Amino acid sequence: MAIDFHFDEQQKLIRDSAREFFRKHCPPAAVRAAAKATEDFPAELWAGMADMGWLGITVAEEFGGLGASFLDLYVLYPEMGRFLVPAPHLDAVVVGAGLVSALGSVEQKQAILREVVAGKLLIAPALTDTGGFGAEDITTEARGANGGYVLNGTKLLVMAAGAANLLVVAARIAGAEGVSLFLIDAAAPGVAREKLPNIAGYPLYAVTFTDVSVGAEGLLGEAGGAWPALEAVLDKAAVLQAAMVAGAGERVLEIAVDYAKNRVQFGTPIGKHQAVQYLCTDVAVAQRHTALLALHAAWRIDRGLPVAREASLAKAMAAKAAAVMTFSAHEVHAGIGFMEDYDLSMYTRRAKHWESHLGDRRHHLERAIALTLEPAA
Amino acid sequence: MIDFLPDDTPELRAWRAEVRAFLAEVVPGGMHFDYDFDESPEGWEKSLDFWRKVGAKGWIGLTWPKEYHGLGRSAIERWILWEEFANWPAPGFPVIGHAVSWFLLRHGSHEQKLRHLKGIADCTILWGEGYTEPSSGSDLASLTTRAHRDGDDWIINGQKTFGTAAHQCQWMAVFARTDPNARPHEGISCFLVPLDTPGIQMLPMHNMAGGQQNQTFFENVRVPHANLVGDVNQAWSQIWFHQGGQNLDQPGHAPDVMEYRMLRTLKEVFTFCRETKRGGKPLIEDPVVRLQLAELVEGMEIIKLQSFELHSTLVNGTAEGWNPLGGVFNQIHYREFWPHFAQVCMDIVGPLAQIEGGRWAQLQGRIEHYFRGSFGNHAGGTAQLKRMTAATRGLGLPR
Ligand SMILES: Cc1cc2nc3c(=O)[nH]c(=O)nc-3n(C[C@H](O)[C@H](O)[C@H](O)COP(=O)(O)OP(=O)(O)OC[C@H]3O[C@@H](n4cnc5c(N)ncnc54)[C@H](O)[C@@H]3O)c2cc1C
Repeated sequence: MAIDFHFDEQQKLIRDSAREFFRKHCPPAAVRAAAKATEDFPAELWAGMADMGWLGITVAEEFGGLGASFLDLYVLYPEMGRFLVPAPHLDAVVVGAGLVSALGSVEQKQAILREVVAGKLLIAPALTDTGGFGAEDITTEARGANGGYVLNGTKLLVMAAGAANLLVVAARIAGAEGVSLFLIDAAAPGVAREKLPNIAGYPLYAVTFTDVSVGAEGLLGEAGGAWPALEAVLDKAAVLQAAMVAGAGERVLEIAVDYAKNRVQFGTPIGKHQAVQYLCTDVAVAQRHTALLALHAAWRIDRGLPVAREASLAKAMAAKAAAVMTFSAHEVHAGIGFMEDYDLSMYTRRAKHWESHLGDRRHHLERAIALTLEPAA
Repeated sequence: MIDFLPDDTPELRAWRAEVRAFLAEVVPGGMHFDYDFDESPEGWEKSLDFWRKVGAKGWIGLTWPKEYHGLGRSAIERWILWEEFANWPAPGFPVIGHAVSWFLLRHGSHEQKLRHLKGIADCTILWGEGYTEPSSGSDLASLTTRAHRDGDDWIINGQKTFGTAAHQCQWMAVFARTDPNARPHEGISCFLVPLDTPGIQMLPMHNMAGGQQNQTFFENVRVPHANLVGDVNQAWSQIWFHQGGQNLDQPGHAPDVMEYRMLRTLKEVFTFCRETKRGGKPLIEDPVVRLQLAELVEGMEIIKLQSFELHSTLVNGTAEGWNPLGGVFNQIHYREFWPHFAQVCMDIVGPLAQIEGGRWAQLQGRIEHYFRGSFGNHAGGTAQLKRMTAATRGLGLPR
């Protein structure tokens, strides 16, 4: 028991039901259709996930959630990667609702979380002004005015902002230190949402705030004091993003290995050639490295241990793996893999978003080495 | 004598200036267009318009014999022409079957040259290449499309795949089995086929970068015997893409489309790094970015010098200490470096590189487009196969 890689019965149950659910609701055709649709994501899918209880796995019971552990949540993620689930769970639930759980007043939690868990309220975290995910990438300004604040700035790569009711906006209060978070109605005057066509076909937006007023009650957490909690939530999300990459990698590996076994050239399956065996094992190795680092980091979160370093290692590896796994699988396929209709291309496109979402490889490597050489006192 | 100077005479420098002046007049500011990754009607129209102007100058057939619609100019002039096109940049030559011209020059009959080189020279006829089949990719010699003799005609049945831009073409060079009883390499012939012949059907295959390959189906497609290239059953030895030797029939190698796309992209990334600040500092001053850029420059420099090597080999013969299979080694580097290059460019441009268009896209999404295109690095044979060719034929390792 002291070292054990088995999930417990409840976790296996969640994982298996997730696999079954997504297999049914997210076949490749549905994933392709979602990427082309004008709506941000399929509403029925989101409602179904709400019915399964997945929008509130780690939300406290008093706010309508299951009050379950981080590992209970974790097991969903490889499945979401495998099936390329077109739903903003990571951003809306893990980050959005996660920030409300971590920093919200009782009133805010009461008003928001129950609705989120029921799938009736969607939160879009609007965090980065640059595309990066360090504290320095938050530059939107909040100016104090009339006992509240006025926001100006543009947030980029905001997931599902079109469908969102509520935005969690990271900003800096003029003349003060630190990062602050604001809850802002997505339809408030001065909020403009622009869809960003992107490689992954995800519903990403630029959200521009032009003199957007928010009352003091719109602050989430302390003025200037949100960064530590935000950083902790981003770490959790980074670990889950890595788990998603690992899950997608399992599927990419299956696609590559199946192809290598069945494609015949020169009278033998191409998988008989060492050149192709090396490529397939490149996928497998990168997948396993990611899965190992992600699982360990998840366990630390579950146990309440410090995780910043391990989360960064997991996300850094996931970023590399996202590129290596898809590249190698393309090499195995040659021509056919380059065709849009071939399923591999769906993974390649999304992998590119995952690579930099919540911090790219360089960001996380720099953070991991700092935390290794100069551990926080 | 060792030399890396293409234009070492006043005449050649004047020629370069003439090319440059032409570009400045016809495509001021350059044009980003890749025929294999772009289906926009405007892009096609503009690039064809450009190439027809090049054709009107006689520069497509610059080095071809005068009797076959060429200008009979030297290999080094062709080098300079293409180098200038690459630097400008000019839109990519929208004729995948440009190689058809070298093929015809070498193996075509007098009548075929007279007839077909004209349309290539003035860019009014586009040619597709039909060699790959669903079950015959790397193992091309296993192809099963059949051609039967029927009086003065041949009748073709079978299927080709991955025909780049074939739907834009009027003709295709089709490789078919003419002797099913011969050894695989000894029973293949090449036919010049007008794509409006009854019995031909095409289905689109959209690629990840927004261009189009095609499946082409042949059902009792009748072509006259006059459209057979060279002798029957001899196509394998004629095949220009064979073993990376597609340049063998040219008077000399010049920087090609692939090379100039990379050069163009690198220049854009340089500009981006000069103009973009991250963490308060221009990217160009970031030591990590500088290392990344240096690696790209190194790989690009090698590609450039490989072009020189190939040119020298084709014009002057293989130099001492250099492998006659140099072309294959070049292809290994190009095929492996391209996806890596695209990945690093994406990394440098950063998370916003994933945006494809609109005001938040970086470099108008061109790096992202180039990245998607880099998964098409297998066109013309995979890196793995090129390595095997290099190892067995180039290095003498056992097959
Ligand atoms: C963008 C693009 C444009 C193209 N345009 C054209 C065109 O215009 N006309 C045309 O006819 N064709 C065209 N092609 C087809 C191209 O020539 C083939 O894709 C290429 O030859 C590889 O064949 P394949 O895709 O069937 O891969 P396969 O041959 O099936 O190879 C699959 C994998 O097996 C490996 N492999 C195969 N055999 C061996 C071996 N003996 N040892 C080790 N590894 C092996 C390969 O390296 C690869 O990793 C195009 C392809 C692309 C991608």
